[in-house]
Formats: sequence, C-alpha cells, structure tokens
Amino acid sequence: MLGPVVALVTAGVAAAANGGFTPQHPHSPNARHINSAYYLIAGFTAAIFLIVETALVVFIWKYRSRGRARSSEGSQVHGNTRLELIWTAVPVVILVIIGGFVFWQLPKISDVPAASASDRLNIRVEGHQFYWQFDYPNGARSIGDLHVPAGKVVYLTITSPDVAHSWWIPQLGGKTDAIPGRTNHTWFKADRTGTFTGQCAEFCGLYHEAMHATVIASSDADYEAWLAGAASTDLGRAEFQGVCATCHGMKGQGGYGPALSSSSIVTQAAGLAAIVRNGRNKMPAVGTTWTKQQMDALLSYLKKSIYTGAAPSGG
Amino acid sequence: MAARAEPVYPVDWKHGRVASWLTTVDHKRIGILYIGTALVFFAAGGVLALLMRAQLATPNEHFLTKDAYSGTMTMHGTTMIFLVIVPILAGFGNYLVPLMIGARDMAFPRLNAFSYWTYVLGGIVLYGSYFAAGGPAKSGWTSYVPLSEAFYSPGHGQDYWILALHILTISSLAGAINFLVTIHNMRARGMTWMRMPLFIWSIETYAILLVAVLPALSAGLTLLLLDRQAGTHFFIPSQGGNAVLYQHVFWFFGHPEVYIMVLPVFGMISEIIPVFARKPIFGYKAVAFSTISIAFFSMLVWAHHMFAVGMPIGLDAFFMITSMVIAVPTGVKIFNWLATTWRGNIHFDTPMLFALGFIALFTMGGLSGIFVAAFPVDWQVTDTYYVVAHLHYVLFGGSMFGIFGGLYYWWPKMFGRTLDERLGKLSFWLMFVGFNATFLPQHMLGLLGMPRRIWTYQHGGLWEWYNLTSTIGSGVMAIGVLVFAVNVWRTQVLRIGKRVGNDPWLGDTLEWYTSSPPPPHNFDDVPYVTSPRPLRDLRRRVSEQD
Repeated sequence: MLGPVVALVTAGVAAAANGGFTPQHPHSPNARHINSAYYLIAGFTAAIFLIVETALVVFIWKYRSRGRARSSEGSQVHGNTRLELIWTAVPVVILVIIGGFVFWQLPKISDVPAASASDRLNIRVEGHQFYWQFDYPNGARSIGDLHVPAGKVVYLTITSPDVAHSWWIPQLGGKTDAIPGRTNHTWFKADRTGTFTGQCAEFCGLYHEAMHATVIASSDADYEAWLAGAASTDLGRAEFQGVCATCHGMKGQGGYGPALSSSSIVTQAAGLAAIVRNGRNKMPAVGTTWTKQQMDALLSYLKKSIYTGAAPSGG
Repeated sequence: MAARAEPVYPVDWKHGRVASWLTTVDHKRIGILYIGTALVFFAAGGVLALLMRAQLATPNEHFLTKDAYSGTMTMHGTTMIFLVIVPILAGFGNYLVPLMIGARDMAFPRLNAFSYWTYVLGGIVLYGSYFAAGGPAKSGWTSYVPLSEAFYSPGHGQDYWILALHILTISSLAGAINFLVTIHNMRARGMTWMRMPLFIWSIETYAILLVAVLPALSAGLTLLLLDRQAGTHFFIPSQGGNAVLYQHVFWFFGHPEVYIMVLPVFGMISEIIPVFARKPIFGYKAVAFSTISIAFFSMLVWAHHMFAVGMPIGLDAFFMITSMVIAVPTGVKIFNWLATTWRGNIHFDTPMLFALGFIALFTMGGLSGIFVAAFPVDWQVTDTYYVVAHLHYVLFGGSMFGIFGGLYYWWPKMFGRTLDERLGKLSFWLMFVGFNATFLPQHMLGLLGMPRRIWTYQHGGLWEWYNLTSTIGSGVMAIGVLVFAVNVWRTQVLRIGKRVGNDPWLGDTLEWYTSSPPPPHNFDDVPYVTSPRPLRDLRRRVSEQD
C-alpha cells in the first residue's frame, strides 16, 4: 500500500513543484531525505483529510433536516465500541509507519557522512545581529556569502555571540539555531555548483528580515582560487555591504543609522574599531569577534569607497 | 453537597446601571464582562493583524516601520492568546459552569470578581506599554532570550509585558481554582462524573492544566525580570546563564497553553453538534477520556517547539513520539463529532455552521501538526509561515470558530434574544472564506522559504501572490467579524431580535432549564439528573405524561 501512495503523491507534488506545496527542490542529501519524509506524511495526511472532509460534506448533505421539525430526533445512537477501537488503532498504525519511516531516514539526514579530510570542509558559522560570518580552515573569513566546493561535505559549527539566530538554506537542509553559549552542528553537500539562498529564521531583532545568507558552491578550482585571493581583497567590501550597509545604506548615505559617507570617524582606526566592536546607542556590537585584519580591511574600504569628505557642518 | 433549589432572594438589578456591573459578584454578569472585554481586545488584536497583513501585502513595503512592525506582531500574539482566547473561555466557563451543573453561583464569587478585574488590569498594563519609553515589547509573544534581555531590548515595553503576563497569570490561576472547586463540589443531585456535560469536562481539564503550568510561566518571567532589573544573569550566556533554559520553561507552559485554548472549545463543539443534529454525542466516554488524555500528553510535548536548538537526537525522538501520540485522542474527537452528525436531523443554524466549520478547519490544523511533529520535517518548516498557518488553523479556525459558535448558541440564554440568523450566516461565510484565503497560502509561503516575523521581503512572483491573497483574505475575514459586530449592535442596542423562551434550540443541558436570561439565583429548582442530557429526559417525561 505504501509504494503506490508514495508514488502517487510524488507524482502529484512533482506537478506542483516549486509552487510551495513541498519543501524546495533539494540540492543536498539531507534535504532530499527530509523531503522523502515530507512526501510520506503528505500522502497519509492528504488521505485522512479527504476522508474526514468528504464524510463531513456527505453527512451534512445527507442528514440535513429537509424541513423536519427540531423536535423530530435523529437516530439515538450513543456510540459503538468497535468503531472507537478502529479509529483509535488505525491512526496509531499510520503514526507508527510515519515514525518508523522518519527514524529510517534519520541517519541520512542528521549523521554527517564519513569523508576523508580532503573531501570535507569545516566551516565555523557565527550568527550576528544582522549578518552571517564564516570562518574557513585557512583563517579566511567571509560575510554573508559562504563559498564552498560543490560535491564536498561541508560541516558547519554554528554559534552566536549576541542573540539567537537560525541558520537555514532550504535547498541544503533544515534549520540549526545559532544560540549564544551553545555550539550546534549541521552539514550539507551541494550536489551541483550554483547559488543557494536563505535567511535567518529565528527572530533576532529589528533587522531580522535583512539577515540573508548565500551559499556559493563552485568547482574545486574556483573555490581554491577564491580562497587564495578574493577572500582577502574583497573582505572590506563584503563587511561593509553585509554588515554596515544594512542600516547605513549601500553607499553609506545613511538610513536607519546615520550617514557614513560624511562622517570622519570612519577614517580613524581606533574610533572606528571601538564603535564596531562595542556598538553605540542603537547600533549593535556587530564586530565583537572581528580580527585586526578585518578592521583594517573595513577601514581601507571605507576610506577608499565610502568616505567622500566631511559634511559642510563638520558633523 | 449538591446544590439544592434555594429560596428566591429579590435582588435589585436596577440599582445603578453601571455600579451594579462594577460591583457584581454574579457569575453570569462576570461571564458576560469577561466575554465583552475579550471581544474588545479581539478587535484590537485584529486591527494589529490587519496592519501586519497590510505591511506584507507586497514586497519592499514601507507601510509600517520595522520598529512598529516588531511591536505590532508582539502585541498581536500576546493579545490574542492572553487577552482574548484564554479569558473568553474563562467567560464562557463562568457563565456556563454553574448553570450547567445546576448551581447557584461559582464556589467563590468574590474571587471570581477578583479574577475578572485582575484580567482587566493585565490588559491595561499590556496596552499601557504603548506609552512606555521605547514603546511596547518587540521580541515576539515568546520573548526569547537574550533578545528580550535589557541589553538587546532597552526601554520598558518588555518590563510592562512581563508585568502584564504576571498579572494575567494570577487572574487565570484564581479563576482555575474557582472552576475546580465549583465543579467538584456543587454539581446537581444525580450529576455523577459520567453525567456531566462534556463542556464541564473540558473546563475541568482546562483548569487543571492552568494550575499545573502557569507556575512555570511565572517562574520564567520572574527570572527574566530579575535579569532585566536586578542584574542577575539567569539567561545571559556571556555571563554564565543559559538561553535554552528559558525556551524550555516557556514552552513547558506554552504548549499546554495551546490545549488550554482549544479544550474548552472542544467542549463547546461537543455541546453544539448533538443539539443541532438532534442526537446524543457519539461516544460520550471516548470524548471525555480523550479530553483527559490530550491534557496529560500536552504536558509531555513542549520541546517540539525547539527541534532546531540542537537537542540530543534522543530527546528530539521522544518529543516527536509524544507529539504524534497526542494526535490519536484528537482524531478520536473528530471522528466522534462526525459520527454524531450521522443519521441526524441536522439544523443549520449559525452555531452549527461555526461548529461544522470548526471541524473542517481544525482537521487541517491537526494534520499540518503531524508535519511539524516529525522533527526532520520540522527542521524545514519551523519558524516559517508554515507554522504561522498551522497555529492559526488551530487557534482561529479551531478556537475562534468554536467560540463564535458558542456566542451564537448561548446568546439567547445570556440576553433573551437570538442574534440575527441571516447576518450570522453571512458573517460565517465571510469568515470561513476569508480565513482560508488568509491562511492556506501561508503554508506555501513557509515552504517557499518565508520565515515568520519578517518585516518585509524582496521576492516577487509566488511570494507576492500568496502574500497578497493572504492580505485580501484577512480583509474579507475582518468584514465577517464586522458583520458580527453589527449583529450584536442590532440585537443589544436596537433591540431588534427574536425574543426566545428558556430553550430555543431544544438543548440537552441544565442551563436551558431556567429562564433566558436566568434570574440572579439561576434556578428555583433543579431536577434530579439521571443522564448527561437532563433536559431531554425532562422533555420526554413531560410528553409521556401528556
């Protein structure tokens, strides 16, 4: 019975793919197995839904009063033990099947596949108000965009220095919360090169909605090239656009936060570092975990591309 | 000590139109006050919901600021849960429990008045937070730490929120104890446990759950308040606290809270469907025992809200199994309600429409619950609009539809006039269609990747279409609620509306034995109860004598 149900439902959802009727098309084994569990549950629940709603409509139609007086009673049936047992036992059986299937799929979802060191990439993920920061094994760091080689197991160690966030790239698996004081783990293995997007799923404050993440899966060669070069040259821009621009605007023109293009603070290393590390007024302490290299990258990017000179008033 | 018919003491109801309501300790007036106040907050929470839907109608919308949106979503959730559903059920409980068990009043009438007025105070404090420095709380109705800690949520909105919930907890706790004492001690002669109306069973379990889990909420809130105001750091990880502890404490209260909000509605449905199908409830014992088993299991499922926090897989598995187990007694109820309509003589008055609508919608909310109970699937859908859709199918399609059914059903008992049937049916269909248009697309939005609690989104295409549909649906639903308001205004203010006698629906339970509205002392005499349907027994005895 199970096979046809799954096949039927799979065909049904394939027709409706990407309409939001199933989780997004998976591009990692864990996401794929989550979807299998989803299809199975969808099959059973759709059947139960149809049975219940059909019975409801049929009974409503068939046993409508048709002008019979209110005092005319329906059939005075008080219950039926056999029926009660059936509609207790059948759901139990269905739930056991669903539960069993979930546990059967579970190792393929939650266990990190065994991989040799060369086939596995360890990344440290930090959720910050309001950006994602990624640390690579060679010490490189990126903001917002996670670069990975396609086809390799990427093992994520996830934490947060401020409030709770939730890491989620739907096509690459489920959510893992980034919680201060805790270290969580998850993994994915992108089955093709490409760009996979997601955003923070745990409400983390005013700019929660702006906390996007992109996983850029590329060939080994492209990944190595990025890691060797772009990672450092591009860091200042990535920091500004991924962290500062959320409130201060893409050109530093100001927004929720004050304009930076005319603020001379952004050209002073010590003052800038103090604000970025500790926050000020409404500004969160975005750079609590930033390295000196990161501060330097930001400073030079600000000087080069954002700062256009003090405003006439000097402020 | 079963209640006995007591002598009639003349009470001057006319003495001070307002003063008599302010000083009343009569359970019926307190019940009506509860229901009326909760409906006012329902309007407020509804306006907040419409504001959110307006903001989310199209991508990159700037109808509300981020700041205002965060406050709006926090206040919407907190209002609907703590100021609408829980208290309106307390209102129905207050009005109906003594009448259904044939008692003169609640066990502790003054405590009852205290419960109501603390509820009002809690509501004032919560809405007073709009005038606090920094505006109302902005960290969601769950107020997860560390976001709700003083460092991340400065200003006093969060403190007002904590204070309001503390006050409401006291109100609910006092009310729950009152219900328990009343139900245990004041039932009419002959009303054994197995002859109690199913609504009384549901209020009994509602009260037990409140007594069991409210202290956990109070404890969590106290620790949070100490963190914010006294410099402790129970939930501040950078100083050795534990952020996940708050989630456990909150949901240990929070999940039973869901059942606190639906069990009494199950009770109402179990009263309404048999009366309008002209049949007894199918499987009285199965329905009563499923209520108890749902209540029991509801205290063992809390961490299914936390599958993404990184619990050990063994715990995930435990909470998945308990969450699935709870689906079984819930299914038993649905099947018994369906079987109750089988071979009935179904009258589609407005209360029945809402009750049948409840079955249709709650089934959907229950089934989407199986997806979120399976924790790997939950990893995909948790904290998205899928969950928003799921919880609204349970709490609006479930609780609120049942509550509207209850309002139409017991309105003639409370005020002696029925609400208008044509307006009632119009209101039902607008709400039913509007509800589905609002929340059905939100399942899809969640699966497309839209997290809950976001202020805006960039995607066009399906995201925009589903969001726009949802916003339009919310408008239709609002019109449906407005039609209800017009109906109430016509009936109560213009006094248009059919006057009815004691028992307009030919009910089964004792509240229909007395006049509509009942006198202050409720009953001149209470018949000896020999079954769960004392009024039908009485009607049959009378017709046999004829």
